[in-house]
Amino acid sequence: MPADVAVDVAEPTPEEAAAGMPRDRVLGAPERGLTAATIGKSSGRRTLGLVGQYAALVVLASLVLIPIGFTLIQALSPPFPYFDAGKPLHPVAVDWKDKGWLDGGGFSVVVRTLVVAFALAWIQLGAAGGRLRHPAPLASPRRLFAVVTGVVAIAVFAGQIWQSSAERSTATPWWWLAAIAVLAATQFVGFATLRPLWKPVVLAVLASVAVTACTVVAFGAAVWNQGWDRGNLGPALGRSFTITLFITVAQVVTSIVAAYAFAFLRFPFKTLVFAFFMATLLLPLEVTLLANVQTIRELGWINSNAALVFPFAATAFGTFLIRQGFRGVPPEVHDATRLDGYGHMGFLWRFAVPLTRPVIASFTVIAALGAWNQYLWPQAVIDDERFQTAQIRLKTIVGTDITNANIAIAAALIVALPVLLLLIAFSRQIIRGLTAGAVKG
Amino acid sequence: MSTAGRLLRRRDRPRYTAKEIAIAVALLVPSIAVFVAFFYRPFLNLLYWGTFESRANGAFFERVGLRQYREQLTSSDFREGLWHSVQFVLYTVPAGLVLGILLAVAAHRRLRGIKVFQAIFSSTLASSVAVTSVIFLYLLHPVVGVFRVDWLTNPDTAMFAVSLSSIWQNMGLSFIIVLAGLQNVPDEVMEAATLDGYGPVRRLLRITLPLISPVLMFLLVVLVIFGLQAFAQVDILTGGGPAGSTETLVFKINRLVRPDTIGIGAVYAVGLFFITLAVTAVQFVILERRVHYAR
Repeated sequence: MPADVAVDVAEPTPEEAAAGMPRDRVLGAPERGLTAATIGKSSGRRTLGLVGQYAALVVLASLVLIPIGFTLIQALSPPFPYFDAGKPLHPVAVDWKDKGWLDGGGFSVVVRTLVVAFALAWIQLGAAGGRLRHPAPLASPRRLFAVVTGVVAIAVFAGQIWQSSAERSTATPWWWLAAIAVLAATQFVGFATLRPLWKPVVLAVLASVAVTACTVVAFGAAVWNQGWDRGNLGPALGRSFTITLFITVAQVVTSIVAAYAFAFLRFPFKTLVFAFFMATLLLPLEVTLLANVQTIRELGWINSNAALVFPFAATAFGTFLIRQGFRGVPPEVHDATRLDGYGHMGFLWRFAVPLTRPVIASFTVIAALGAWNQYLWPQAVIDDERFQTAQIRLKTIVGTDITNANIAIAAALIVALPVLLLLIAFSRQIIRGLTAGAVKG
Repeated sequence: MSTAGRLLRRRDRPRYTAKEIAIAVALLVPSIAVFVAFFYRPFLNLLYWGTFESRANGAFFERVGLRQYREQLTSSDFREGLWHSVQFVLYTVPAGLVLGILLAVAAHRRLRGIKVFQAIFSSTLASSVAVTSVIFLYLLHPVVGVFRVDWLTNPDTAMFAVSLSSIWQNMGLSFIIVLAGLQNVPDEVMEAATLDGYGPVRRLLRITLPLISPVLMFLLVVLVIFGLQAFAQVDILTGGGPAGSTETLVFKINRLVRPDTIGIGAVYAVGLFFITLAVTAVQFVILERRVHYAR
């Protein structure tokens, strides 16, 4: 599916449609420049149409974002009992000096500094029209100065902001304003060449607000550490990572070899065996749960990784998907490799798999997503808190003390983070995998 | 290569060779082992266990034949669970379809920054059911929530509140599926419709939606199956309550995983199987059609 090709079937306003204007000019990207048709009296309507479209998009986006926004605010707000006790706004991590190099001390300071430096460099690069692959514009002395002094400014102010918000002191807003002002001043130096003059000013203020806010939210709020510590997320995430890895590798390997047999080998009762595979799609875990739990009990696998991995070691969906991919391999390739003396395994791993890499990549990511997000099965075969996966751990965290809203939500966001990273890194593969059944290609 | 050519080529060679069969068996055995151990055997076990009724709290079982199926599948408890599942489906599926179409139509156009909106719309994909449930628990909780409403504790609204979290979570999936459908609609069709004087609404209802109907059908089936299998939402948000008003079929089955109730649980599971079978049958027809086109 050509995900990156934006096909244009957008709706122009009725007036424009009636006027029979070419669509690309009605909606078209503004950077294409003005043509005779757009300069006329309809340009006002065109702007109106654009504003309407953006308004609709913003309304819909807020539908999606409102729960996330409230959630973030809640995670960074005082836990419920804190109100009455008059405790600090939220406990924050200013104690890195007391910690060791590896347990949240020096190491995390280095990482934070690098992240801030990267963010500032990225902003400067963007304003200079460069990209991460072509970082040359960043090398100008003014931009380097902006990045370096920006990092220093954040380092100087961050401690003060965190400190004052921990004490819920009246100084907090002033520290915030001061930090934003100083950071904006450093960034302005880098943007200064832009014209007209309002551009560098606005850019500098926006960038400093964003960077200050993100730094404080991401690194200042101890709620992330607390969610991790009190929720005991470490072992749970470790277990989730382990079973996700095992399940994904197992599913990909079994699906590839089974798909190969169905696509390239001749053996009796092939259709029947394929139907035997596909029929498992009719038996979702929800149906077989009861009997599978019994099997796991008989095997003595309760609370073990084996119980979490083996039932998912093969999947008809993956076999089907990869078989479809193999069918796209031209028969000529198969014949040619055979003449060259490649056996079945040689052909499979050197030609068939590389040629169907997009399909296999999609399936791999989808399999990992599914394994990471499992809930029903782990809660059925894990009855010891020490062996919980991250997803079912969340329920325990909520159940232990529901009033600690910020900690439970922080834990939930930490559990969602790996999936978010996966989504960002492999969005194309994920979209292709999820829509595989919906559209051809 | 033409079909005739392929047939001819196939006929030239010997039908099967022992070596190929041996390799095929070796390649298929791992999958088959898993399917037998964790799909077919348990299902047959369920069918069998359903004919046994527990006596003395599971101390021993008595064979009652199909009587237990008859009694349990018509029991008020099963019907209640089924009704709750159907309720959940009725809340989540139409909303999922409508939101999916709305988001996809809004984001399927050439505008500056549209990529940002597309990323936002598909962002709920990053949230698992458990994560979504925690988020909505603290949005809706009557005491510690953001909105402090009593939806989760009121038997009349609890199922709706649970559905709300799934509606939000499914938005990303619905969006990308419908968008994929829209991107497959040829430009020329829409251009022709525009020249014929079709307005945007008429084009959407008369041309776009019919053209992507297979995709919508697929989405419908996926959402219905998701709805019938809902469990984590209920487990985290309400725990089945209040007063059992959110106990879906899968929730009840999960609760019956106990030695003394395994017979009843087996009957429930078989009931769920036949319900999903009907829905999955539709999915299969669509999958087959897709395979046909893809060749």
